[in-house]
Amino acid sequence: MAPTRRDVMRLGGVAAAVALFPAVAVADSNGISQAIAAFTKGAMALEAGLSLEVPEIADNGGAVPVRVAAAGARRIALFTDGNPYPGVVVFEFGRFTPPAATIRIRLARSQSVIAVAELADGTFRKASRAVAVTVGGCA
Amino acid sequence: MATPKPRIRLPKSVEAGVPFTVRTRITHPMHTGLRRDRDGELIPRRIVNRFTVRYNGEEAFSAALEPAVSTDPYIQFELSLPESGVLEFEWEDDDGSIYSLRREISVV
Repeated sequence: MAPTRRDVMRLGGVAAAVALFPAVAVADSNGISQAIAAFTKGAMALEAGLSLEVPEIADNGGAVPVRVAAAGARRIALFTDGNPYPGVVVFEFGRFTPPAATIRIRLARSQSVIAVAELADGTFRKASRAVAVTVGGCA
Repeated sequence: MATPKPRIRLPKSVEAGVPFTVRTRITHPMHTGLRRDRDGELIPRRIVNRFTVRYNGEEAFSAALEPAVSTDPYIQFELSLPESGVLEFEWEDDDGSIYSLRREISVV
């Protein structure tokens, strides 16, 4: 069947939306961009070298296990883009602590968890995972 | 509120330079300051805002916590120690209280 004019218009609308917002990886309804910029002091974060483990589906948003690890990291911060406040935790690792940690966090609804690591050489790494939350935690 | 009770789990003895896991938890409501009680009154924020671990007096690990951390904060991390020593764990409450635990660890 040949596409109708309506189909073509619809496709055009989607294409325009994608073209207008190409780099929108995370929604910024809670100030997460500013929070991350405060942590990195505006430096770019490379999307590599940081492991972020979060369940894809969380039945209980009140306690979602999150594990982060990044070789050579001095600090690792966790953020969310759909909680009332973006910050969750900042871990700091000393010379006796391999840079890896696990914590249980609250997710008010389905959203993304973002980890940012500051390495000992002063550069930053970033990773992001979407989590579908069945019952939201009161964050 | 009941007095928060901290707990940690770590091996009795560990090998020098071999990482081992430390599991920590403290009973605490972690009030976000955003929820209301049955009468519609806001429950004031009260969380554990910082967790610190020291090895022979030197800071080895810390976590700065926000209200998005779950009730009864659970934190797991690793340590790799060169010799036997003392581990001190400290949780800081918004109300100024400090809850602490101290463990001697033998490194073989």
